[in-house]
Amino acid sequence: MDLTNLYYSLRLILPEVIVSVALLIIVIADLILHRDKKSIPYIALTGMLAALAFMITDLAQQGFAFIPSKSQHMFGMVAVDAFGTFFKILIIISSVFIVFFSNSSLEIQKVSDRIGEYYTLIYGMILGMMFMISASDLILIYLSIELLSLSSYVLAGFTKLRDRNSEASLKYIIYGAVSSGIMLFGISILYGISGTTNLMALNKFFQSPELNLLTLSFSLILIFAGIGYKISAAPFHFWTPDVYEGAPIAITAYLSVASKAAGFALLIRFIRTSFVAVVDAQGNWILFDFFDWRSLLIIISILTMTLGNFSALWQNNLKRMLAYSSIAHAGYILLGLAVLSVHGLIAIMVYFLIYLLMNLGAFFIVMLIADKSGSENIDDYSGLGYTSPLLGVALSIFLISLTGIPPTAGFIAKLYLFIALVDANMIAVAVIALLNTVVSLYYYVRVLKHMYLTKPSASTSSVRAVGINYAVVLILTIPVILFGLYFTPILEFVKNCISILSI
Amino acid sequence: MNIYDIIFYLFAAITLVSGFFVVSTKNIVHAGFYLLFTLFGVAGLYVLLGADFIAIVQLLVYVGGILILLLFGVMLTNKITSVDLRSGTSYIIPAVIGVGILWGALTAVLFKTSWRSKAPSGMDPTTSEIGRLLITDYVLVFELLGILLLVALIGAASIARRDKE
Repeated sequence: MDLTNLYYSLRLILPEVIVSVALLIIVIADLILHRDKKSIPYIALTGMLAALAFMITDLAQQGFAFIPSKSQHMFGMVAVDAFGTFFKILIIISSVFIVFFSNSSLEIQKVSDRIGEYYTLIYGMILGMMFMISASDLILIYLSIELLSLSSYVLAGFTKLRDRNSEASLKYIIYGAVSSGIMLFGISILYGISGTTNLMALNKFFQSPELNLLTLSFSLILIFAGIGYKISAAPFHFWTPDVYEGAPIAITAYLSVASKAAGFALLIRFIRTSFVAVVDAQGNWILFDFFDWRSLLIIISILTMTLGNFSALWQNNLKRMLAYSSIAHAGYILLGLAVLSVHGLIAIMVYFLIYLLMNLGAFFIVMLIADKSGSENIDDYSGLGYTSPLLGVALSIFLISLTGIPPTAGFIAKLYLFIALVDANMIAVAVIALLNTVVSLYYYVRVLKHMYLTKPSASTSSVRAVGINYAVVLILTIPVILFGLYFTPILEFVKNCISILSI
Repeated sequence: MNIYDIIFYLFAAITLVSGFFVVSTKNIVHAGFYLLFTLFGVAGLYVLLGADFIAIVQLLVYVGGILILLLFGVMLTNKITSVDLRSGTSYIIPAVIGVGILWGALTAVLFKTSWRSKAPSGMDPTTSEIGRLLITDYVLVFELLGILLLVALIGAASIARRDKE
């Protein structure tokens, strides 16, 4: 690779470069400012906003970065396109919220002398996720997953205040190590038969008539297991409730939104670039017929949403309930992917945009209440709607939106998903998803019942948040209502961002 | 059976037998020492494949570094050495089924696949070629590995640090 190619590549991955530089600045600032570390969150915030600004101005940019010098085709290791930029923007936006979450969180404030390490690890996660989203080479995919995982293992047990923090961290590491080992095994088999690690070159390889279906399917299932672990799809979801419950709430919120978004973006790009033979006029993806992705995705998604929703029914810990609810949401989103068309893709992207707002919002309020009352038990929410009206109303809005009831944005998200399903003639699956939504209504509304129909008990605390927390709550609440009523702008935005670089 | 085959089976036997003892022994120090032979056997297999760089790295990093560190860690913490490891078997039927399916699938994959193979073109050293690729075509991977190691270091220090009470 010559220098011109290198400069061109660096220009394409400028947001990632900014994030890496910010990571190093935080490490150095942490060493210089060892007495007073109050400015580190601001440095972190500045880095994120700079990356965000570059991505929004260069939304239309696309091309392959890091093209090997001897390759006959012009396929690089990194594919920069609008689809990837969309997901990277989501990641950075949720990271910005996480900075505010961490600043308000009592758990994180208690370890404020290690705040430099905290933000370094957050940046490690961001960098890992950004490369996961645009990686088009199996080596880079594996490496970025490892970068994301290593940072999040430490963050899950970062506070070390309670035993359950360490438990969360340890469980995460053990499950994570096994799943990345499985994935690596799949990758090595795939490389052994194809002789390439590039996703586009794999697509070319799959066009050849002589394929060993058994070996290929085996390796694909192993790779899918690795990705399934990241998006906590059943049956690879066992770590999720324990890790989400044990980790600091700011990190739980981050894992449930950003890490999941990155995993989905990776899965979508993997399927789109390697397995799609042609895209027909209606925008349907016609896949190579040696591996039935659609059936696999439908089975996994139905399993995931049903398991998530039914396990959430009897959770008394709100954090754990939200963990199961996020598993269920992963199931809905997988269903959008199973449509295997541009419409499914639009539905997924709209869903993620809205899911980000409502899930972060719900976690934020649970965090504010837990900081005050010391637990996330549902009994502490009795009568909360009267003792802390604003937070009560906001939490209700988020939970209603998570269920998918109009006039909230969650309804729009589900609506587009179901439209995509029905358009693709997947009626039976749509009905199952709809029934699942009805089940989920029970556990979301149960919280509302505790907040409004139960008398405040002695353990109910009245939560008076400071100004900045109210601002964060409002910034998250207003779009959830607004996008429920007026959703054309997000739809237009998403439709501008559906191009995925491929052959 | 020529000399290569004999050496291959020798190393494979070392790897498998010591690997079996790693998981079956009750003493953690013994398990550590058996692991030494497992990793050494794998290094031998790499040499036979002509992957000289990986073989040396395997010896330097795993046998020489990580394993010695592991043994030191175990020996310096009395608490761990005196504890009897639980090595009983639970859920034996599901485990046998699961492992059996995986083993069957792996064996089938191994024998039924036409692996992409390349005739050996002499035993050329690979180190310089790997080095060249790491700073040209795979420079991104190389740099990202640097950040990965930095993050891992910081994370490890963060976990190991004892908080002031």
